[in-house]
Amino acid sequence: MPQHDIGAAVQSRDLGMAKITALSWRAGAAGVAVAGLLTVVLAHHPAAGTVPAGHRDDHGSILIPAQPPSQAPGAGQVTSGSS
Amino acid sequence: MTTSAVTRDTFEVFGTTAVLLVTRPGVIGQARSIADRLLAEIDLACSRFRPDSELSRLNAAGGEPTPISSTFTDLIAVALRAARLTGGDVDPTCGRALTGLGYDRDFADVRAAGDAPPRLTGPVGPVPGWTRVQLDRGGRRVRLEHGAQLDLGATAKAWAADKCAEQIADRTGCGVLVSLGGDVAVAGQPPPDDWRIRVTDDHAAPQWAAGQTVTISSGGLATSSTTVRAWTLGGRKVHHIIDPSTGEPARSCWRTVSVAAGTCTDANTASTAAIVRGAAALDWLHDAGLPARLVRHDGTVETTAGWPYDDPGDAA
Repeated sequence: MPQHDIGAAVQSRDLGMAKITALSWRAGAAGVAVAGLLTVVLAHHPAAGTVPAGHRDDHGSILIPAQPPSQAPGAGQVTSGSS
Repeated sequence: MTTSAVTRDTFEVFGTTAVLLVTRPGVIGQARSIADRLLAEIDLACSRFRPDSELSRLNAAGGEPTPISSTFTDLIAVALRAARLTGGDVDPTCGRALTGLGYDRDFADVRAAGDAPPRLTGPVGPVPGWTRVQLDRGGRRVRLEHGAQLDLGATAKAWAADKCAEQIADRTGCGVLVSLGGDVAVAGQPPPDDWRIRVTDDHAAPQWAAGQTVTISSGGLATSSTTVRAWTLGGRKVHHIIDPSTGEPARSCWRTVSVAAGTCTDANTASTAAIVRGAAALDWLHDAGLPARLVRHDGTVETTAGWPYDDPGDAA
């Protein structure tokens, strides 16, 4: 291959690599931004506002019970209804 | 040490019925004293019907920053937390909407007034929204923007039940159940067979009323319903659970929702939000892992997240 063709090929390769590197950086930066955005959005989603039983979080979560209610026969000791 | 003997005290507070149960008979008087002191403090902080309450003074402050007590600070913080966790479905700035519906005095007086027009009439539109409440928790000051008027009815009673149960258990060392108008909080060591609660529409219904009996050993259980705190206005039936997006009573597919949670406050937050959300509440409660029992207007029942099987014929 003539010398000037080799030089042109090397120049083209370097140019291509530079473009790929720039694109990779932009894609990476966009990924970081999207991940950050998703973190913020999901943190504010009501369904995300719960924590496992036994954890107390006064700031950001509805606390689920340590165990769900159990069925019992007969009357109750108290009544839960609207007042 | 606990025994299966449970002692009871019943009294009136916040315009409703309170029930105290303790697992050691000798401490019921002490438990009542603790509850009386706490409930009086909370009533003075947040009653909408007392002109001398902090809430009444704040609502009349015309948007000026107002210094407040630590109790009222906590009550507002709890209400704002409930609003945040429900995406604004449980909103404390519904005071003007309730007044517009005639709920401007103690509920017994509202019901007695029949169809008489309220002092402020007409629809008020969407509520200003909880983000209009500027609370400086550390500095104990609050400011209401854009004409917001507070009503803490959705969270204050449940929070009061939690605080009473917690303090009574701490000071007496026994198991305790506190029910304030059907908002139930328990603390300490429960009885051997746990606490038995009849879940129904009306907290004042007899314990054999249509519904379901369940047991809990910790946390809280609350029920919200459109059927009890309801009255007529201009010939139409209205109730006290406000949809913040309209400022009107929520038009829900559920007549009653009961939820068990880690605290009574959280249970009430979820049950109130479920009424406002309507059909979408089923998925929300399921995803949140909150055991709940939802009753439609025709009496059919749905349950979520481990709430025990309900005999379909038992709810109507």
